Amino acid sequence: MSQQKILSRPSVGAFMSKYGIVVIFVGLCIILSIMSPVFLSMRNITNVIRQVSIIGIVSMGVTFAIITTGIDLSSGSMIALISVVVATLSQNAMNPDQPVSIVMPIAIAVAISLLLGIILGAVNGTLTAFGKIPPFIATLGMMTVARGAAALYTRGRPVGDLKETFTFIGTGSIFGIPLPIWIYLAMGILAHILLSKTKFGRHVFAIGGNEQAARICGINVEKTLVKVYAFAGFLTAVSAILLTARTSAGNPTYGLSYELDAIASTVIGGTSLSGGVGSIPFCVIGALIIGVLNNGMDLMGVNAYWQQIAKGVIIVAAVLIDARKQKRG
Amino acid sequence: MKKTVLVLVAMCMLILPTAIFANGQQEDGKILIGAAMSSFSDKGQTYLQDGVREFDAENDDVEVLMTDAKDDAAVQLNQIETLLVKGVDAIFIVPVDISALKPVFKKCKEDGVKVVIGNRMPAEELWGEFDVYTGSESIQAGILQAEWVAEAMQPEGGKVGIIMGPLGHEAARMRTEGNKQIFAKYDNIEIVMDAEGKWDRAKGMQIAENWIQSGANLDAVLCNNDEMAIGALLAAEGANLADDAIIIAGVDATPDALEYLGAGLDVTVFQNMNAQGYNGAIAAYKLAKGESVEKWDWIPFETVTPENMSEYK
Repeated sequence: MSQQKILSRPSVGAFMSKYGIVVIFVGLCIILSIMSPVFLSMRNITNVIRQVSIIGIVSMGVTFAIITTGIDLSSGSMIALISVVVATLSQNAMNPDQPVSIVMPIAIAVAISLLLGIILGAVNGTLTAFGKIPPFIATLGMMTVARGAAALYTRGRPVGDLKETFTFIGTGSIFGIPLPIWIYLAMGILAHILLSKTKFGRHVFAIGGNEQAARICGINVEKTLVKVYAFAGFLTAVSAILLTARTSAGNPTYGLSYELDAIASTVIGGTSLSGGVGSIPFCVIGALIIGVLNNGMDLMGVNAYWQQIAKGVIIVAAVLIDARKQKRG
Repeated sequence: MKKTVLVLVAMCMLILPTAIFANGQQEDGKILIGAAMSSFSDKGQTYLQDGVREFDAENDDVEVLMTDAKDDAAVQLNQIETLLVKGVDAIFIVPVDISALKPVFKKCKEDGVKVVIGNRMPAEELWGEFDVYTGSESIQAGILQAEWVAEAMQPEGGKVGIIMGPLGHEAARMRTEGNKQIFAKYDNIEIVMDAEGKWDRAKGMQIAENWIQSGANLDAVLCNNDEMAIGALLAAEGANLADDAIIIAGVDATPDALEYLGAGLDVTVFQNMNAQGYNGAIAAYKLAKGESVEKWDWIPFETVTPENMSEYK
């Protein structure tokens, strides 16, 4: 009875409980646009979204993992490994100084890299689902191994001299909008449909809500988990390819602590670390909040030391406000 | 009973070799040198390590044991302790965080193991703890970089931004300090922006993109390393800024940066990492043999521009 009352009454509280983080995001944008006149220029907006796309795509995979009460700590290191792999496969010419250097068509290089991401993700998932290792540990292991493998693969050096057809993925535009934004959008739609419109998505929520109950309902928990981490690996690979193309090089030092930014975006976007709750559009908003913060502070020339403090405070404050609104609503 | 004996015998077998070879020479008469490196995956450091390996390959009477601390001070501490147990005669350390190494310095003194510090300049209160320092003064890189940029900006002067390495990192701090010292001498140059690029190309690119968007109209961007400078020049390219509209400066003269020098990148500063590694190994070798070595072995920085870049390729 009381629940129906809340549902039927379109109160401010109910609105805030659902869209609190969007309100915070809009508020942040208004403040920044007042403080920096160029903030809302079309060029800067595409600039921000392009910068966000890399973490944004990773964080959508992390959202899946967190909804199942899991986590993915390996994304940053996997970006490093996949970036050097795709770079060595996309060079203009063979480089005899590198342990591995193969010239091949870009489409194949990209396909191999995506496959590598899926495989590494599936390893995470298999360790978690069948090995019964907590995902924190399984992905922590992958984080360490992938970083080491990336350094080993290139002897710790960056890989440059990439084909222009490849760097176009990160630097080109279609209809005046940078390609990374299109890819971010496409991945967002794909992830959103998977999560909210398919049986797989329902299983993901069911596992996060109550794994035992999901099992009793006949959901193959193990198989679903492997798929979740494989999908996260796939998205990580997409990010790695974008990053490599955008910077015209692969580097084993890339992606350092990206996993934390991705987790932060996810959590700011309202995904509960205790599982069962989360959505892709809100995850995008979460990533945008971090991106807008970085961008705004650079635009205003905020001192580097203060930037870090401000970023940390604003992230925690955003989640705090959101959490309180939810309680009240 | 049997078990206890077995365990005792096993322990003796483990301890015996280290006890015998702990001080002085190895079994086959070779001098044993420990090289405790900060990170095998830091590209700049790999050139230093190559210098050490070169020395090792050239000298038959030396064996170099190299360790990778993965940029973790605690790991490095453990590795140096292990090297001491293995009985090295001298040790060449590229410290992750030198203040964390105080306990091993004491142990080195007790064991009579000579200590060479490389690449990263220890703070003054630690100068008594080691025998030789081989490296460059980080502030010099910042000074050379800013001197070149300041001259190139004359007579108009203008506004500059500095993209720094990780905050609190000695090289990042001192290179930035060097920049500031030089620009303080010019009335017509103002530092209007600074941000932390964490040595990372993508991060440097992001910062430079935002600065270009901000309408600050920077005349020069100085970066604490080349990777961030490449990021900055890619950002300028992406924004269709003409090459001569903005001066971009890096440090390190990495092979990648040399590719971009004259094509977006205007100047970089060469730190001879290879020589640092090679000289560090020589110093350790000489000390182990009981020869005396100058305490300060300065490897100078060199300004690299498109005009003289062929010497560094």
